Amino acid sequence: MSGTVRATLERASPARIARRPTRPQLIRASVTTVLLLFAFFALPELLSLYYIDTMTQVAVYSMVTLALGLLVGRVGLFSLGQAAVLAIGAWAAARLLFATTQPYPLVLLEAGLITMVAGLLIGLPALRLRGLYLALITLMLAGGITVVLATVNFPNGGHGFLGYNGSLLHIPPIRRPSIAASDPAYYRFSVIIAIVMFALVLAHIKTKPGRAWAAIRQSEAAALAAGINIWFYKLWAFALASFITGVAGGVLAGAIHYLYSINFPTQDSITLLAVTLMGGVFSLWGAVVAGILYQFLPALLNNWGVSADWLIILFGLGVLQVLTTAPAGLADQVPRDLRRLGHLLGTLIRRFRRGPGGDGA
Amino acid sequence: MIEVDGLTVRYGGVTSLDAMSLTFEQGTCGLIGPNGAGKTTFFNVLSGFVRPAAGSVQAFGVDLLSMAHYRRARWGVRRTFQTEQAIEELSVFDNVAMVHEHSRLSGASRRADVLDALAFTGLGADPEAKVRTLGAGQRRLVEVARAVVGRPRLVLLDEPAAGLPDEETRHLAEVIRRIPEHTGALAVLVDHDMSLVSACCATTAVLDFGKLIASGPTAAVLRDDAVIRAYLGVA
Amino acid sequence: MPPWANFEPFIVSGLALGGVYALSGVGLVVLYRATGVLYLAFGAIGALGALIAWSLTTRAGAPGWAGWLACVAVAGAVTLGYGLLFGPALAKRDPLIKAVATIGLTLILYGVMDLLWTTSGGQARSLTLPTDNGGFTVAQIQVTWTQVIALAAGVVLTVGTGAFLRFTKLGTAMRAMANDRDITATLGVPVRRVEAAAWLGCGILGGVAGLLLADLVALDATTLTFLVISSLAAVLIARLRSITVTFVAAIVIGLLHDLLTPIASLTSYRDMTPFVIAAIGLLVLSRHQVMTQSREEA
Repeated sequence: MSGTVRATLERASPARIARRPTRPQLIRASVTTVLLLFAFFALPELLSLYYIDTMTQVAVYSMVTLALGLLVGRVGLFSLGQAAVLAIGAWAAARLLFATTQPYPLVLLEAGLITMVAGLLIGLPALRLRGLYLALITLMLAGGITVVLATVNFPNGGHGFLGYNGSLLHIPPIRRPSIAASDPAYYRFSVIIAIVMFALVLAHIKTKPGRAWAAIRQSEAAALAAGINIWFYKLWAFALASFITGVAGGVLAGAIHYLYSINFPTQDSITLLAVTLMGGVFSLWGAVVAGILYQFLPALLNNWGVSADWLIILFGLGVLQVLTTAPAGLADQVPRDLRRLGHLLGTLIRRFRRGPGGDGA
Repeated sequence: MIEVDGLTVRYGGVTSLDAMSLTFEQGTCGLIGPNGAGKTTFFNVLSGFVRPAAGSVQAFGVDLLSMAHYRRARWGVRRTFQTEQAIEELSVFDNVAMVHEHSRLSGASRRADVLDALAFTGLGADPEAKVRTLGAGQRRLVEVARAVVGRPRLVLLDEPAAGLPDEETRHLAEVIRRIPEHTGALAVLVDHDMSLVSACCATTAVLDFGKLIASGPTAAVLRDDAVIRAYLGVA
Repeated sequence: MPPWANFEPFIVSGLALGGVYALSGVGLVVLYRATGVLYLAFGAIGALGALIAWSLTTRAGAPGWAGWLACVAVAGAVTLGYGLLFGPALAKRDPLIKAVATIGLTLILYGVMDLLWTTSGGQARSLTLPTDNGGFTVAQIQVTWTQVIALAAGVVLTVGTGAFLRFTKLGTAMRAMANDRDITATLGVPVRRVEAAAWLGCGILGGVAGLLLADLVALDATTLTFLVISSLAAVLIARLRSITVTFVAAIVIGLLHDLLTPIASLTSYRDMTPFVIAAIGLLVLSRHQVMTQSREEA
């Protein structure tokens, strides 16, 4: 029995590297490529500067929601303090940009690594906690970080470790990369960085850590029984999420040129979690949807003279809806609904073609 | 050979295992007893989820309890759970490969080992299929494949036939019976289905209220008065 | 280090603040034990109630007590409404999910408050209670009646709730449900009604806390909404279980926060007090085992 079953299995599953991608995968890849090309080349030509700035913010916060989605969706860690982590990244990038003349991408890498180290220092003791307690300690730590940043302020070109000079009359703006100084160019720069971050996450998901995270999320007992060192992989997720958020902070610094504590209020952490849940924590597109919800819609409403508070209320309702009914979020729900719509249309068209007389031409 | 000596587990005022001493010889051994007798607790101690208050476990000459829990799987402790735990969003292949990945086994042999384990269980499904598309019986077989891939030394099966129809239970019995000869591992089977236990296990031990009340050849144990009384209660 | 006399007024204000934190904390713990929900919107409903009281008294000219009544009533009604609407749907979920759901409520309330009581005009609002004016002096320290009420409320509530939980039928039912909701239901306890009572009670406390904090701290939606974090810190140290530990932790947090005010080098960091205490407390408590809040394992 074993021999023939084994042979059948071999035929059904040829060497994984040579396996041809399935049709839905090809469609998804093509759509993604087209959208990315459109976003990179066409969008800046079509939009006004106001919206180009907005789309840069969308790129920045998509990275943050990507990181948050990674934590929540893949490892089950509900971070309630991601805005504080973003602030750390922004602070580090600003400090380096003022203090050195290093190229921007290098600064981004360093800011990401610094934030990653901070994330690890927090994660090491914090990961002894689980579930609700873990979420609450992220809230507490974020609160602490926010107070510290409010006191030491963001670098503004001053000297010393903190790089803040309270009595500066003319505050220099945080610089941008020399080839991406204009707003449309900086938008393209931020899109590239975002693509790199998404690719980094994808690389993780498709390989060993991704599989380990999937096991941990479904059943820690089964993961342990498979030999997975749960604490190590959770820490890895924490480190990756912190790195990505740190890089996003660096991009944010160049985008807005001047950093203040009010750019990172406590409610941002909560709103970020809300849009991440709404966008969907199980798919990478969900992070983009979340970024659009978080930055594009408010800009739109602002332009039309409608208060952004309506969005806050919507996000609150969204959280409740997602948690009670659709755990996979919009990015999963909408394609599913579209597909169902597609099937429905197909059936209707077929019935229409058949005509009132039944089968036949 | 597994030697358990004086294993005691206490949790919140309840003594789940009471100075349990037992030796598992070669082959497939059964472990039975009424609900709450301590069988799953025993497996939890072996897996490392529960720390005993006292006692020791020597597995093939190694002090099992001194190993960190995630290391035990690498060493060769494999386990299936009462509620099936195949990872839904991963494929059949990935589920089984996961155990291989996290052991000290070479990546070169991984594909062959995984397909071998799947063939051994007789799971006919496409290895690339996601587990969430499979039925309960098939998911159980994925778990069993996970338990036998690579080089297992101790395979713990916790009620693997629970909720399965007769046909699939018979198939499972066949697979379980051949685990020791195929892998060289020692298998311990916990189940309430006495026909399954009789079919697979040469020897059986019986727990009641955390204490060992009988052990020996399966047929004899199942006829033992003390065992029958434990299950049915004193008249 | 400033002279002792500088600290004296802050002992009083710190105790008053701690008293309100204790009040909030006890409300949060009791609701959690009865329903498994950590009500993160507690601060937001207090803020909403306080703003409504403010509007009624300063805009509509209603008497003070009508405003306070409205505050407590609205806070209680919104909380009860949420509990009845979303409690059943999420009853079987992990406490983490239930708590995140209340974040949804917090956002809704926050948006509503910013819409109706916008702060972009730049005007600051304030709420004063008549008890602010009277008071007495203890060892040369001024104490207002409001501060006395704040501390007293915290004490009375802690003691009263402890007695309530132990000696009354409803309280015992709540304790049973904290242990296992389904089994309690099979014993004939009207779990839905007990839960409703817990939600309503928590909401009312939220209204009271909102009024007091609006008076003692500030009448600002953002401040009041996130002040719940200080109570959360106390509740975390008590591991969501003991109301006595919640009380003590809350008082310590309030005291420490205010006592840091006259110390020049630390004063700008004093808002970190609840965070630091909670973080240290949690890490110390978890050093021997992996901590989980699952009620089955608790």
